[in-house]
Amino acid sequence: MIKLENVTKVYKGDNVALRDATLDIAKGEFVFLVGASGSGKSTFIRLLNREEIPEHGQIFVAGKDIAHLGAWKVPYLRRNIGYIFQDFKLLPNKTVAENVAFALEVIGKPRHVVKKQVPAILELVGLSEKMNNRPGELSGGEQQRVSIARAFVNRPLILLADEPTGNLDPQTSVGIMKLLDRINRTGTTVVMATHDRGIVDTMRRRVIELDRGVIVRDQARGVYE
Amino acid sequence: MAISPLYALRETGINLWRNVLLSTATILTIGVSLLMFGAFFLFDYAVANATQRWEGGIEFVVWMNPEATEEQNANILDAITTSPEIRDYEFVDQAAAYEEFKEIFSDTPELIEVVTPEAMPPSYRVVPVDPDADVVEELAGQFDGRPGVKTVVSANDTIRGIQDLADRAGLFLFIGSFVLLGAATLLILTNIVSAIRNRGPEIEIMKVVGATNWFIRIPFMLEGVAQAVVGAFLAWVGLWAFDRYVIEEFSDPDGLELLAGFQVSDNEFFTTSILVLAIAIVVSIVGSLVAVTRYLDA
Repeated sequence: MIKLENVTKVYKGDNVALRDATLDIAKGEFVFLVGASGSGKSTFIRLLNREEIPEHGQIFVAGKDIAHLGAWKVPYLRRNIGYIFQDFKLLPNKTVAENVAFALEVIGKPRHVVKKQVPAILELVGLSEKMNNRPGELSGGEQQRVSIARAFVNRPLILLADEPTGNLDPQTSVGIMKLLDRINRTGTTVVMATHDRGIVDTMRRRVIELDRGVIVRDQARGVYE
Repeated sequence: MAISPLYALRETGINLWRNVLLSTATILTIGVSLLMFGAFFLFDYAVANATQRWEGGIEFVVWMNPEATEEQNANILDAITTSPEIRDYEFVDQAAAYEEFKEIFSDTPELIEVVTPEAMPPSYRVVPVDPDADVVEELAGQFDGRPGVKTVVSANDTIRGIQDLADRAGLFLFIGSFVLLGAATLLILTNIVSAIRNRGPEIEIMKVVGATNWFIRIPFMLEGVAQAVVGAFLAWVGLWAFDRYVIEEFSDPDGLELLAGFQVSDNEFFTTSILVLAIAIVVSIVGSLVAVTRYLDA
């Protein structure tokens, strides 16, 4: 599903964010990206979403080399990739349902599709009762569930999560991870950057560790360290 | 998948409302600049209409009294045809003068109704060999005061003066409107940049979930076009008032005979209105395109 071949990303001032990274992630895998702050986790995720372009190497997503993808094709790539933010990035002036529907409306989905898919996804994330609430009226965990619903409502092939439990307490984080695990079981590939040792050690999924832009460990059913 | 018109209109409305003060300033600037631009064209049309009889090298007109005798007419014609300083002439009889009058005042049929061909003065439109101002003045003076002559009007001291004044006034309007159109373009750009910044979080989400660039751009571009269209409407109202209360006042039948043709036809007004609308749309698209390509796609 995802393949990196000798990928290097360098920011201004010769700041190497990712160096000569090569790996494969199969369809339906759940992968944790771990490492200290500045190790390159976020850059890794941004490269997969084509928010960044590598200086060297190739990145294949679903068989397509996205590093050399035409700019006009990028939106269509992103329709196959869900993105979950640490700080949720919900729109405060829209309700829960409107926030989720927004992701479908802006890619031109017809109204009847929006009307059908939004309640279904809100039921999946356990927020049917709060579909008319605004984000400010929800707890952090609930807001992250809305963020996940928005990322998954278009049924993407891949879900990218950049420290989705970073702003949540441990108990709430467990609930979020259960939800991501459930989504993963539908066949969706999940790549999640995290600092949360407890979650990684509990779930025992594939772990890719980065250190100053270099992949130093790639372990199946791994632990945080 | 195409952008839904309802979505585009809703988002455009939201953008305009969020920046209502800046939007108002932009609309007013566009309106004033287009008013000046349109006024330049109307003024130009009016001057061209007023000076129509001076085309083809005609430098002075000998107006005869309608009741001038045949002998008086014959004397003037003889003086014109035998003068070595006159290259050509055109005689406009009462019927032709009446037709010209009807054409000039086609928008005011009530005036045409009260004027008869018999009241129109016939005239000789004279093309001198040498169009030099002093020569023309001296030549025209030879006809002034002769029996049967009502008046002699020279292009040099009247029409050419008006044309010169009109040219300078037109230039002022043209430069002024261009400066203001530039300001309006910058205001549209600023307005859209402000809207883009206000909606930064939404735009970020749109990009992440896969909205196309055009889907994101169109509401912002429509915002610019909407401002321009409203501004063009204000300018149109101003132009109507300019035509009705300024240009038509010049052509008042009780006013100077010289300015009798200083007016704009309905067709010319319509052409100017379309031009003003087209310029508004072009200006708004330029401002919007610069804003979205420079600040939205970055």
